[in-house]
Amino acid sequence: MVRGAWLLGLAACGGDDGTAPVAEVGTPRAPPPAVQAGAPTLRRLTTAQYQATLADLFGPTLILPTALEPDVPVDGMVSIGSATSGLSARGVEQYEDAAWDVAAQLADPAVAARVFTCRGEASVDEACAREIVSGFGQRVYRRPLTPAEVDALVAVAASAGETFGSFDVGIQYAVGAMLQSPAFLYRVELGEPDPDAPGARRYTSWEMASRLSYLLWQTMPDDALLDAAASGALVTEAGLAEAVDRLLADPRARTGVRALFEDILQLGDDLDAVSKDPFVYNAWSVDLIASAREQTLREIEALVVDDDADWRSLLISQRTFVDRRLAALYGVEAPVIDGFGEVELPAAGGRRGLLGHASFLLLKSHATTTSVTRRGLYIQERLLCTDLPDPPAGLNTAIPEPSEDAPTMRDRVEVHLTVPECAACHELMDPLGLGLETFDGVGQWRTTENGVTIDASGALAGVPFADAWSLAQVVHDNPALSPCLALHIFEAATGRVPSAGEEEWMAWHTDGFADEGHRVRWLLRDLLLSPAFRQVGEVP
Amino acid sequence: MGARRGGLASRRTVLRGVLDGVAVALALPWLESLGGFGPTARAGTSSGFPLRFALYAWGNGNNPDRWLPIGEGSGADWALSEQLAPLAAHKDKIAVVTGLSVRLPNVVPHGSGAAGLLAGTPIVNDTFGGPTIDQIIAEAVGGETLYRSLQTAATDTLGQSYSGPNLLNPAESDPFALYERLFGPTFVAPGEGGLVDPSLGLRRSILDGVMGDLSALQARLSVADQARLEMHLDGVRDLESRLARLIEDPPSLAACVQPAAPLASYPDIDGRPQISARSRAMCDLLAMAFACDQTRVAAHYLTQPVADILFPDATKGHHSLTHDEGGDQPQCNAITLQCVAEFGYWLDALRAIPEGDETLLDHCAALGCSEVSLGQTHSLEEMPLVVAGGACGQLATDVHLRVPGDNASKLMLTLIRTLGVSQASFGVDEAYTEDGFAPIEL
Repeated sequence: MVRGAWLLGLAACGGDDGTAPVAEVGTPRAPPPAVQAGAPTLRRLTTAQYQATLADLFGPTLILPTALEPDVPVDGMVSIGSATSGLSARGVEQYEDAAWDVAAQLADPAVAARVFTCRGEASVDEACAREIVSGFGQRVYRRPLTPAEVDALVAVAASAGETFGSFDVGIQYAVGAMLQSPAFLYRVELGEPDPDAPGARRYTSWEMASRLSYLLWQTMPDDALLDAAASGALVTEAGLAEAVDRLLADPRARTGVRALFEDILQLGDDLDAVSKDPFVYNAWSVDLIASAREQTLREIEALVVDDDADWRSLLISQRTFVDRRLAALYGVEAPVIDGFGEVELPAAGGRRGLLGHASFLLLKSHATTTSVTRRGLYIQERLLCTDLPDPPAGLNTAIPEPSEDAPTMRDRVEVHLTVPECAACHELMDPLGLGLETFDGVGQWRTTENGVTIDASGALAGVPFADAWSLAQVVHDNPALSPCLALHIFEAATGRVPSAGEEEWMAWHTDGFADEGHRVRWLLRDLLLSPAFRQVGEVP
Repeated sequence: MGARRGGLASRRTVLRGVLDGVAVALALPWLESLGGFGPTARAGTSSGFPLRFALYAWGNGNNPDRWLPIGEGSGADWALSEQLAPLAAHKDKIAVVTGLSVRLPNVVPHGSGAAGLLAGTPIVNDTFGGPTIDQIIAEAVGGETLYRSLQTAATDTLGQSYSGPNLLNPAESDPFALYERLFGPTFVAPGEGGLVDPSLGLRRSILDGVMGDLSALQARLSVADQARLEMHLDGVRDLESRLARLIEDPPSLAACVQPAAPLASYPDIDGRPQISARSRAMCDLLAMAFACDQTRVAAHYLTQPVADILFPDATKGHHSLTHDEGGDQPQCNAITLQCVAEFGYWLDALRAIPEGDETLLDHCAALGCSEVSLGQTHSLEEMPLVVAGGACGQLATDVHLRVPGDNASKLMLTLIRTLGVSQASFGVDEAYTEDGFAPIEL
């Protein structure tokens, strides 16, 4: 698998001492390696992107459709799933339902104002229909419509207008048709021959507009970006840089950064599906999910957008954001009565960074217990991009119930580390999870389990840690951490894993990330201005 | 769902009856219309009722020792085991097949079993390698009904119905949404006549345009993306033909009535999902969807593979228990009994609907299964497999058939062929077979 191969190469590049190389100040960056661009992807709008796009098209009074084909993660990412999963018959039906629900809302004057640039003189008014279809349609399709597309939609408007004796209803039908078109539902990005590089292909200016806006804003391009697309600016160095900088500086980039990390850290549908036994965890309520997600995303927003800081602080930061519910869970004073406020977690509390966030701890626990294996696996696979094989079949996996001989989870999962078939993988996972045993299944701090003091010491790749507090530092310092994030951001940006022809460039890009202080905004800019994001291979 | 406003003719406010100038197909008596049913004609003719395929799956397996029936053969020669006891009321209508294996490498726990059993393929890049049995059947027989197939789940899961690699048909897990879809405003009971709604024709012509756009786009894409759009196209075609059927009289099936609506929601109680209540609401609706001939293929997933759901009275989630619980796993056993009991409820619902001198269940091939046998070891031997209904007399019932080590794909192939589908083989590699499972075939 390409992704695994790339990571092996990457591991070989890392230092042996567990620290990332530090560039000398002023060292010029090596020239970028050539990129052999990957194949184009056909991404269907995710639920969030579909809804945000409708809201942009029709305005804030639109009642958004919610019954839609669920997003399916592939390779751990909804971004990749959107480029690989199919659309079921039920999904088609739901898109049709949604299209007619939205179209019917054109009866709302506020919604209509977004669409009707002219008023029909009669129930069939071809000139006005043509103006609306080609004008509004360009926003819906995120590119100019072909003459045949315009003709077909004008015919729909005429037919419906005549049937119902109303021009406005005719336009409702044309809009309903647009919202079912693959040009709206999918991001069709197939590229064009690159005039500056014979034999190579690049994304078109229109395609670049959507590539930028859906990554950085999670929604369609705004008018300025569509104008830039129309002028051809987005296939020029200067025009693209200007657009990237504008989009990154726009408040909507907050939405984009949040969505990016929600996908990477799996804090979307997976977190929503969490359920705990309230008789085991008194602190549990289903409302904890939304609070927990907000804490993590708010902290990322602060690090990436407000501070433009080293993102790895997420692992060790004592500064975080809590509401009253989380403050109670964490045993700190609530900073504000309503909503979220900033707090500094006390060192004496033992909790800091993402691995102490309720979001991760809720997600990677069972309904009535913690899970040292799932927590450890998340750190290895999600945060460090370690490829772990699936467990072998045919093993007795029973672990003893808590007893006087085996009061703690460390005692009970000892078998994972003593039986060779188990230990091969579990020794990569369980010690990390055991380091977090001072957080229970909902993320509440504890020092004992069944009356016995928890031993949370262990090691990651030979680097020892004493407890959850120092484990956070060890994960923070792991040389695979930042390259793993860079990989996931590449996946989110392109909808696929890097291809063989992009591996060298990825390594160069990732080195730059470290040299530039692990700043995600730098990484995004470097990626979006690069050939890896602008060039496209042939359809295989 | 947002309220419909304005001038767009809504499907929620349709007129019923026949208006001058609107083409309405003549109602054909049920038996006459059967002549054109193609693949299912052979299967359905003995009783005059269509043959249906019902898939029921639960996650995390069983305990083969507690599952194995007592004795072999038919009638008095065999008796239900502890874990099959919840099916006691239907012993006369079931065939229990024990000993079958999924003969593919067991490399992805639960995943290899699910893909191997239902599609006969390994897991490739996180997805099934081909279509699942329900979709193979639906592709062939689903064209005659409003819905080619239905997928439902009693818990929040996407299910395992694949049209091909990455081509998932997500399950509906909200009973009320299922009710609205099947028996909401567009439902027409037998004898009421088709819908008359001028928007239907416009919607169909728009769908024709969408199909044209999809086909044109398809030509420019990779093979994998072409397959994705083919699935999209299939969905549009289904929707288009469904709109066409809405103006026709529905099939005149005596047992078809609008069922009572389920609850609007089934919230968790004390952190535990209402698995049984949700499943039963779904199964009642699916049974009536069969009775009204809205579909002939339904897949219902009680829980998903690896589901760590808290069942009533359990101290841990199901998947955790299968691995962690020691001894003879009394909690896992209790949960398996509940999973089998919910299959029993679906059979109850199917059997409660009379069709001629028989019941709807007699006109079904209903497969109950899980993706592993012993959950603790993810074993793919001794797979738990029950076939209910007899499929209009084509399959043996009231029988325990024991075939240690034989290929589970054979049973899948028999079920596919029983539905009238001409299928040369099922499965790949070691799971490949061209032979059906002869012992169950009458």
